[in-house]
Amino acid sequence: MTRRSMRFPQHALSFLAVCVIASGCSPAGSSMSFASGGTAARNGVAQQDQIARGRFLVISHDCGGCHGGGSDPASNRWLTGVKDSTDEFHIGPFITRPKNLTPDNATGMGRFSERQIFNSLRYGLRPEETPDVEITSTTPGQGNFPAHPHYLAPPMPWMAWRHMPDQDLWAIAAYLKKAVKPVRNRVEDSEGPPDFWASEMTPAKIGSYPAAAFPTANEH
Amino acid sequence: MLHPQRLLALLPLSLSLVAISAPSERMRSRLPKGDADPPALINISRKPKTVEVNITAGVTTLSLMPGVKSEVFAYNGHVPGPTLDVREGDHVIVHFHNNLPEPTTVHWHGIHLPFESDGSPFHPIKPGESHDYEFTVRPGTAGTYWYHPHPDRRTGFAIGKGLFGAIIVRAADDPLAATIPERLLVLSDNRFLQDGSIDFPDAASAHGGIDEENGREGPVLFVNGHVSPTLSIRSGEVQRWRIINASAGRIYRIALSGHTMLHIGSDGGLFETPREVKELLLTTGERVEILVRGSDAPGAKAVLQDLPYDRYAPQTRPKDWKTTLDLLTLQTTGESPVEPIAIPTHLRAVPPLDTTKVSAVRTVVFGQGMINGKTMDMARVDVSAKVGATEIWEIENVVGMDHPFHLHGFQFQVLDRDGVAEPYRSWKDMLNIPKHSTARIIVRYDDYPGKWMFHCHILDHEDHGMMGVLEVRQ
Repeated sequence: MTRRSMRFPQHALSFLAVCVIASGCSPAGSSMSFASGGTAARNGVAQQDQIARGRFLVISHDCGGCHGGGSDPASNRWLTGVKDSTDEFHIGPFITRPKNLTPDNATGMGRFSERQIFNSLRYGLRPEETPDVEITSTTPGQGNFPAHPHYLAPPMPWMAWRHMPDQDLWAIAAYLKKAVKPVRNRVEDSEGPPDFWASEMTPAKIGSYPAAAFPTANEH
Repeated sequence: MLHPQRLLALLPLSLSLVAISAPSERMRSRLPKGDADPPALINISRKPKTVEVNITAGVTTLSLMPGVKSEVFAYNGHVPGPTLDVREGDHVIVHFHNNLPEPTTVHWHGIHLPFESDGSPFHPIKPGESHDYEFTVRPGTAGTYWYHPHPDRRTGFAIGKGLFGAIIVRAADDPLAATIPERLLVLSDNRFLQDGSIDFPDAASAHGGIDEENGREGPVLFVNGHVSPTLSIRSGEVQRWRIINASAGRIYRIALSGHTMLHIGSDGGLFETPREVKELLLTTGERVEILVRGSDAPGAKAVLQDLPYDRYAPQTRPKDWKTTLDLLTLQTTGESPVEPIAIPTHLRAVPPLDTTKVSAVRTVVFGQGMINGKTMDMARVDVSAKVGATEIWEIENVVGMDHPFHLHGFQFQVLDRDGVAEPYRSWKDMLNIPKHSTARIIVRYDDYPGKWMFHCHILDHEDHGMMGVLEVRQ
C-alpha cells in the first residue's frame, strides 16, 4: 500500500464521496430517528442475524480498506488498525492513523460500549472521549451532545454512514464487539487540530442529519 | 534495592547503616526561615497532642509576579497558604471561615480522616459561613500532604486563584529528622493577563477549550509563591526537600543540574530504602521527598529544572512543550564543606497490603473527561465496598493523554504498571496513569465509612466530570 496523502479539507471530503460511492453505501434509509439505545433484542432481531448483518455492512462499507484486511475477514490483519506509516493518511499537516477496531481492551474497542460505537458512527464522536450516553441532539451542549465534541479524524466517512438506519449501526457495533477476536495492536494516536475537527464538521460543510426530505429539487 | 556503595557516590557515609534515636523537639533540625518559605499556621491550643488553627479563605490583592498586582484567593492572606505542621497522633481542629464570593471546601489531600472532614464536594461551605474540620492524624502516616478547595466544578478555578497550602505530618521516630535540615517546596504555575489578573479564559473560547482539554497550565512557575528563588546550601551539606505539585495541570519532570538526588519518600511518607535518581516525575497533586547534597565546590550553582515531558494529546500539545523551565537556583555557599553525614539505608517499614485478602478487582477506565464512560454524578455511587475490605483497582487509560489518578481517604500501594511489578513499595494517593497504559493498585478501606471521590487530578478534567464516587459502608 502506498502512502496516502491528501490536502485538507476539500480533497479530504471529495475522497470521502468517492469512498462512499465506491463502497456502495446506500443513501439515507427510512429510519431517521435518533438513537434509542436499542439493542438487538429491542429490535426483535436475533443476535446471530444482527452479527451477520453487521459483518455484511463492515465488509461492504470497506472498513477493512483503512482499518486493515481489505474486504477479507480471513486476513490476519482484519480490522487490526495501522501496521506502519504506509497505512497512514496525511490530512494537510496532520497524520490520521486508522485505529484498531478489534475488541482488545488495551489497544482496541474493548473498553467502549456498543452505544459509544453507535454514537461514533452516527455522530462522528470519538468513543474514548464521548460518554456512554444516549444522544438526542446534534447541537453541541444539548441532548447529551458534547459541548466540545471530539470528532473522528478525516477521512473516516461517518458523515455519510450516519444515514444508515439505527439497526444497521447497532449491527456494526455488535459485530465489532461480539464477533471479532481481540488482537493487540497499539496504533499511535492520530493528529489533528486543537478543536478535534469541530470547525470542519458543521452542517454547512458536511450536511445535516437527518438528510433533507425526499424529494429535493434534484429528485423526483 | 540500593546498595550502600551507591549511596556513597552521592552522600559520603561514615557508616553504611546508622541507628538514630528518636529526635527530641529541640533536636529537630529546620532550616532558618527564609523569604522563600511559606508561613506556618499558629497552634492556638494549649492541650497536649492537639493542634487548633484558624484558616480563612478570602479575596485579596498580592504581587505573585514581581512588580505586578493580582487579585487572588488566599488562605490567611498568603499564597501558598500557611503550612499545617503536625505530628502523628495529633488531634487537629481547623476553624475555617469562607470569605470568598463562592462556595468552597477544604480538602486535606491524602489525609486519612472521617468522611465529614474530607472537604469533598458533598460538604460545601457557603460564602460567609464557617466550618470546623476535625481529624486525628493516624500513626504511621508521617509525610507531606496538602490542602486545597474541592468544590463542585470549581476546584481548578479556586486553586488557580491561589488556594493551596502544605501539610507536614511528622513522626516521633523519623530516621532523618535529627541530622538533616529540611525545606518545603510548593510548586505551582500560573498565567496572567496584561493587567496582572489571573488568566481564566471563557470556556467557550478556543483558549478555554484547550485549557479544558489539557488542564490549565501557565508559563510562570512558582516555588512557594516565588519566581526562580535562590536557596542556599553548604558544600557537602545534605538537605531534605519535601516537594508538592500544586499545579492544576502541569506534570513536573524535575532534575537538579549536575546532581543526582536520593528519592526517599512519596505521597504517604518515607520508603523503606532510599533510591538514587537523576530525575523524578511529579504528577499533579503528588509529593516527593528527596535528599540533595551541596556541591563539593563552594560557590557552585545548580538549577532545579522542569524538563520536557509529553503528557499531551497530539491535537492540543503546546508548541513549546519541549522547553526546559527553571524552578530555583541552589547556591552552594562559600563556607568550608561540612562533615559528611550518614544516611540510613533503612528508613522505615512499609508493610505490604495482603493480596490474598483481596475481595474485589475493579476496573476503572479513564477516557477523556470521563471514567468508565460516565461523567460525575453526585447522586450516583460508582463503586460500593465494605469497611475493612481490601481491593485491587485496575486503572486503564485508553486515551492519548496522561491522567493522574487520585483516591480520597485511603492511601494505596502500586502493584504494577503495564504488567511490570513496582520495584519498591510506597504509600500513594496520587498515581500518574500515562497515555494508553494500565496500573494496578491495592487499597484497604480502613474504617471511615462514607462517600469518597476518585478522580483525575488534572483539575479541568475533574471539574468537567472525570470523577466517581466510592461508597464505603459499615
